Amino acid sequence: MNNFNQKILIIVPAFNECGNIGRTVQEIRGSALSVDVLVIDDGSIDNTAKEALQAGGQVVSLPFNLGIGAAVQTGFQYAQIYQYDIAVQIDGDGQHDVSFLGKIIEPILQDEADMVVGSRFLEKTEGFQSSFSRRVGINFFVHLINVLTGVKINDPTSGFRAYNKKMITLFSAYYPQDFPEPEAIVVSQQAGARIIEVSVLMRAREAGESSIRYFKTMYYMVKVTLAILLHMIRQKRTKI
Amino acid sequence: MNIHVVAILVSISIFLLVVDLVRRRRLTFKYAMGWLIVSAGAIFFAVFYRLLFACAALLGFELPSNFIFFALFCVFVFLSLLLTVFLCQQNSRNDVMAQKIALLEFEIKELKKKFNGLR
Repeated sequence: MNNFNQKILIIVPAFNECGNIGRTVQEIRGSALSVDVLVIDDGSIDNTAKEALQAGGQVVSLPFNLGIGAAVQTGFQYAQIYQYDIAVQIDGDGQHDVSFLGKIIEPILQDEADMVVGSRFLEKTEGFQSSFSRRVGINFFVHLINVLTGVKINDPTSGFRAYNKKMITLFSAYYPQDFPEPEAIVVSQQAGARIIEVSVLMRAREAGESSIRYFKTMYYMVKVTLAILLHMIRQKRTKI
Repeated sequence: MNIHVVAILVSISIFLLVVDLVRRRRLTFKYAMGWLIVSAGAIFFAVFYRLLFACAALLGFELPSNFIFFALFCVFVFLSLLLTVFLCQQNSRNDVMAQKIALLEFEIKELKKKFNGLR
């Protein structure tokens, strides 16, 4: 509990993050905020679950690897069952700087937004801004989502996000599985959610840029575009 | 052997194979239906092949064999689409179950901890 008497859950999806996950959990628990940490061990074959438990996190272990979308959704289901007011999604690899937790939760506490996206590109910052080819891809999604939904999110692939109770309910029932980050923005917008961005710093995850990565980025762009377009024509839209 | 006899024999054996698979519970009725209908159609056209030729001519196929290939192609595309739908459905059910199991396992562990604390 905190000053606002809100129960906050930090959801950390992790797949074979042994060596990183313990530090991430400790960092979150060491922050000034009073929050619970839930690690979703997405069928890891290393000691991810054990390390997260030792660091003081709660751990839900999926019986096999379901992918990031279903792992995060399991976190929402947990938040729903144990009646959390706010859920924050943070990557398990230590890419997200937990000192921005307060900043990302603030608009939810003030009831200014239903969903907050931590963005690398909102302001020109010193932090990690991703490789060139990825930034081209990200920029493409910014415009695609903007044209299709009218919402301008500068960092649609960011997995550093905060959600209020309405979004927890929405996403525990349905959360996009294929490319959850950009798709979740479209789903939220269709549900009538108020989405805002706050500026955060991120750390570099991997260095170097190979031609293989370049093609991967292109392939990813095509797949996500198709997935988003399919979302636009989907029936059964739930409103929050 | 006459080609018509061969066609009739093959389509009958496919039909019987499907029936046998259902009988041995290797196929459920739900999934056998499509195959039964297709193989029954094949038997029908193998027996009344003149009707097949008439259909081909009516639709503008120069050779009846082209019509048969086209019809078969359509059937297989439809069947594989149907199978993909089933596969997708199974996949999402599987995911939902895995999530439920993981959450229940967590709950059981927590309850055990509480129970051991009480003892």
